[in-house]
Amino acid sequence: MDVRHLNVEVRLEEGIAVLDLVGEINGFAEEALNAAYAEAEAKDPETILLNFEGVDYINSTGIALIVGLLAKARASRRTLLACNLSEHYVEIFNITRLSDFMSVFPDEQTAVVEASGF
Amino acid sequence: MTDPKPARTDAEFGRTLADFSVPSEPGNERLAMETVAESAKGLGFSGENLERLKTAVAEATMNAMEHGNHYRPELPVELQVLVTDQDLLVRITDRGSGPPPKEDAEAPDLLAKLEGVQTPRGWGLFLIKSMVDEMNITGDEGHHMVELVVHLEAEGSK
Repeated sequence: MDVRHLNVEVRLEEGIAVLDLVGEINGFAEEALNAAYAEAEAKDPETILLNFEGVDYINSTGIALIVGLLAKARASRRTLLACNLSEHYVEIFNITRLSDFMSVFPDEQTAVVEASGF
Repeated sequence: MTDPKPARTDAEFGRTLADFSVPSEPGNERLAMETVAESAKGLGFSGENLERLKTAVAEATMNAMEHGNHYRPELPVELQVLVTDQDLLVRITDRGSGPPPKEDAEAPDLLAKLEGVQTPRGWGLFLIKSMVDEMNITGDEGHHMVELVVHLEAEGSK
């Protein structure tokens, strides 16, 4: 089975850096994920939003990569958010307690409104 | 290597739904996951219950490929899907030697990971245990086997 390597686009939305994630978040995703996060940080936003709309698979290595991003965000006092996770991955964010440290929103619009106050 | 919790014998099982192997190459856990999922769909697994089973199978297969077979492609990870009146069982076997992983490993501490006290990794066994009703780990001189158990009565009532 072919691996769907992760592609990430970075854009600004109401001052929030949005990372549009497309593909699988696994061990192969480390370089793309970290490069995109660095690109987002370079824009110096207070908030970075991970948009999981194009993601259909996250494994335990992928969870570790997300933990790494969250650690970076906390170290630089940025807020990391997530949106468009499937019901299953919302459960996984809950049982791993990731959702205690990064708010999870059902869609991008809700996340942006909540984070930007618009 | 001893086995404090011996796996059940084949004579106890009603039916084998699938019996296959995958080479120990990164990404093949998805092949294992999808093949097991196809078998489970015939038992009525769907939606979130199917997703939970898929995650457990993927994580157990990844562990087998990485820790048991050290990602040597010539070493297969073998998977059996079995069903009884009560349970769906998925047995995942690698060619590992040495003590099998401990079933009662502590839950990962996310705060410790965020503060750099623990490695960010180490979620696999925790995820597996969270996704199925039982997880049994056994081993002998040249194999480790993880057995995932989903109670069908619970599955039907969820």
